[in-house]
Amino acid sequence: MDFTYTDDQKMLKEAARRFLAGACPNVEWYLEMEKEEKGYTPALWNGMAELGWMGILFPEEYGGIGGSMLDMVTLMEEMGYAALPGPYFSTVILGGCTILTAGSEAQKQEFLPKIAEGSLRMTLALTEPATTQYNPSLITVKAKAEGDSYVIDGIKLFVPDANVADWMIVAARTAGKDADRDGISLFLVDSKSPGIAMTLLKTVAGDKQCEVVFKKVKVPKANLLGEPGKGFAVIEKTLQIAAVAKCAEMLGGSNKVMELAVAYAKERVQFGKAIGTFQAVQHLCANMKMATEQSIYITYKAAWMIDQGMPEARKFAAVAKTWVSEAYKKVALIGHQIFGGTGYIVEHAMPIYSRRAKTGEYAFGNPNYQREIVAQELGL
Amino acid sequence: MAWDFGYTKEEEAYRQKVAAFLDKELTEEIARQNWEDLGLDKEGRAFGNKLWESGLLGWSWPVEYGGKGLSPVYDFILIDELGKRWSAHVPNDVAYTMVGHTILRRGNDAMKKEFIPRIVRGEIEFGLGYTEPEAGSDLANMKMTAIDQGDYYLVNGQKTFNTESHYSDYHWLAAKTDLKASPYKGISLFIVDQRAPGITIRPMITMSGERTNEVFYDDVKVPKNRLVGEVNKGFYYMMEALMSERNYVFTPSRYYPYLNMLVDYAKKTTYLGKPLAEDPMVRQKIAQIAVEIEATQLLSDHARWMEWNHQTMTCEPEITKVVVSEMEQRMVDNAMQLLDQYCQLEEGSKYAPLKGRIEWEFLHSFMTTIGAGTSEVGRTVIATRGLGLPRG
Ligand SMILES: Cc1cc2nc3c(=O)[nH]c(=O)nc-3n(C[C@H](O)[C@H](O)[C@H](O)COP(=O)(O)OP(=O)(O)OC[C@H]3O[C@@H](n4cnc5c(N)ncnc54)[C@H](O)[C@@H]3O)c2cc1C
Ligand SMILES: Cc1cc2nc3c(=O)[nH]c(=O)nc-3n(C[C@H](O)[C@H](O)[C@H](O)COP(=O)(O)OP(=O)(O)OC[C@H]3O[C@@H](n4cnc5c(N)ncnc54)[C@H](O)[C@@H]3O)c2cc1C
Repeated sequence: MDFTYTDDQKMLKEAARRFLAGACPNVEWYLEMEKEEKGYTPALWNGMAELGWMGILFPEEYGGIGGSMLDMVTLMEEMGYAALPGPYFSTVILGGCTILTAGSEAQKQEFLPKIAEGSLRMTLALTEPATTQYNPSLITVKAKAEGDSYVIDGIKLFVPDANVADWMIVAARTAGKDADRDGISLFLVDSKSPGIAMTLLKTVAGDKQCEVVFKKVKVPKANLLGEPGKGFAVIEKTLQIAAVAKCAEMLGGSNKVMELAVAYAKERVQFGKAIGTFQAVQHLCANMKMATEQSIYITYKAAWMIDQGMPEARKFAAVAKTWVSEAYKKVALIGHQIFGGTGYIVEHAMPIYSRRAKTGEYAFGNPNYQREIVAQELGL
Repeated sequence: MAWDFGYTKEEEAYRQKVAAFLDKELTEEIARQNWEDLGLDKEGRAFGNKLWESGLLGWSWPVEYGGKGLSPVYDFILIDELGKRWSAHVPNDVAYTMVGHTILRRGNDAMKKEFIPRIVRGEIEFGLGYTEPEAGSDLANMKMTAIDQGDYYLVNGQKTFNTESHYSDYHWLAAKTDLKASPYKGISLFIVDQRAPGITIRPMITMSGERTNEVFYDDVKVPKNRLVGEVNKGFYYMMEALMSERNYVFTPSRYYPYLNMLVDYAKKTTYLGKPLAEDPMVRQKIAQIAVEIEATQLLSDHARWMEWNHQTMTCEPEITKVVVSEMEQRMVDNAMQLLDQYCQLEEGSKYAPLKGRIEWEFLHSFMTTIGAGTSEVGRTVIATRGLGLPRG
């Protein structure tokens, strides 16, 4: 057992802390990014690419640095700490990892180096209005084979960063009945394809989630990602990675909120004393600490299991996503409580984090969804 | 150095040896003496002895006292494997997991030679003599006195909630040796023969049926050589040992049997013709129990890892303690909801499900947030020592 970062991870962490502190300078900037349609700046994007973050998980032959999931969560934690906006997650994890899992050699050669150099943005169009569930067997959007192409029809909802994605991976049913596990296929779709219409949703965290409508969108058969009808397992793997990466992001946010709130409790004076002297406030702080500590180890254990290729990774990713989602929510609420009225003001840092905590809770399976996975893994 | 959540080959081999031994030797009767804190009976002592004879005790203890000189990780593995089989701790655990370590750290050579080998072999037990009527959370407020009489200390006063005293061989006693100094500098620790003349032990039966005791001292003579370490350093020794003690005592692994039992129950029990396991609410509740046990196990793994790597622990084991104890209460509540009306039935009653274990655990769970330090004091420790908030 060992609960320490490698030296490389420490360097990555420090570099990320430094870069992101400068790149995400203040609350006004976050609010601007939330209003802005793209939600990030080219300078920020290019800076991250230069640091090698886009290819962190890809092998060197595809322009990456061959990092592990543990490296990834180390970085994601810092991104969460800095409340980083933009399509990094969608591009690298939802797009890149899925291609890495299922892509042909040619597809990997075509997409991964471009992602790694920062010239391509991607996302994954998975959930749909009727269920909003991450369970791939519930997909109803259809793709029909017609000659050399598939034709995709239907609506995808809560697609992150579709507004800025150059390409997206679309999950659609090509065979089987509703709710069948088999028959889901994945497609690499050019966002500029005729028949695609996009609407940016207005969300609690001001992040960029979209409705994407596909009307007779033609996709060449060559753009099938993985075997036809076998998309379920690919999506499950991506979701596992995404859930754990999201945990790391939430954990970083949790740490930041705790840091801010504890610092405030030490300096804010009421009744002639720092409010951190009052036991009521101390115990709130202790609750933040307990929830956050558990978030750390469960997240890193899940990442470690993914790296080790252990079958228990499915259960632990779900355990982590359940725990960290609830923990971050709790920590954010306590953070607000400690800041009193001032944390309620829009220019304060607290709402940046508490709103993201909510978004994170629902991304890639909320606790109810994840507990169902745990139940399955327990043999229930 | 790199994140790693597994055991080394050697550790894993030990774990498997222990597991194989326990699967064979640990009967339910022995386990329940342990999980119900009933105190070790004949079979319990025989079991402890077998554990030693089989070469599975003492790996983490110095070679000169009969151990293997290895890191505490081996004792933690032992405790976890016991926990996974309903046995909350090692037999004679106050000696093995608490008192022994302080003797090793602070006792003189003669004391170590006298006590450690027997502790390592699992032969002797101690009653923990800290709490008094006026000194619960506020231990420094203890009134019991041990007055230096030249050849011996003369001890008078009363302890309460001394759980093992009715069957233990020795009493691990904290008493005031300097009545004028601040309590932090006026308390000493002693090893007292639990059956010494002048000691009276009266049972206190708890709501879950386990026994704890009031222990009265009336002019008890304690030999000088039974003073632990230096005089008036007792409070410091107690505090010094606290974090490590929590690492040994608050073990989330002991909740896995409950989880497994509930999974099994949900699969085998039908409601309106369908297995409970198919009910989404049941699935959610059991899964939540699993989530909390896994997350809590990691708190424990982390805090223990700090200990065996000689890192300074500020509040990590305290976090485990508070979280584990509160988790136990939530777990019981969830479990009872699954059993519905049957949850009220105690062992031996007609219709009692799961041998009444959930009903017993419900009763037991009221003490987890109190014994060995309350959740309130724990949170204050986490806030002040862990987060550096000013003391109130
Ligand atoms: C939307 C909004 C509208 C408002 N409208 C009005 C208005 O119209 N008029 C007006 O006058 N005010 C108004 N207020 C101010 C409101 O009354 C204060 O925010 C509130 O009294 C708390 O004070 P504070 O924000 O300074 O927090 P603080 O007093 O600084 O408290 C910070 C934290 O310390 C804790 N704390 C403080 N003292 C103690 C203690 N002794 N023991 C334990 N914990 C303690 C608090 O519980 C809190 O968690 C408004 C606030 C908000 C958010
Ligand atoms: C079954 C059982 C077995 C035990 N076994 C042993 C044993 O073997 N040996 C031994 O020495 N002791 C033993 N104890 C005693 C145990 O350590 C004490 O019960 C515990 O330390 C709490 O003390 P108390 O019961 O006097 O409660 P109190 O200290 O009186 O606390 C009462 C309430 O006040 C709160 N409180 C107290 N101080 C503060 C504070 N500063 N801030 C906020 N809240 C506070 C507490 O959190 C609690 O909610 C045992 C107890 C039980 C129940």
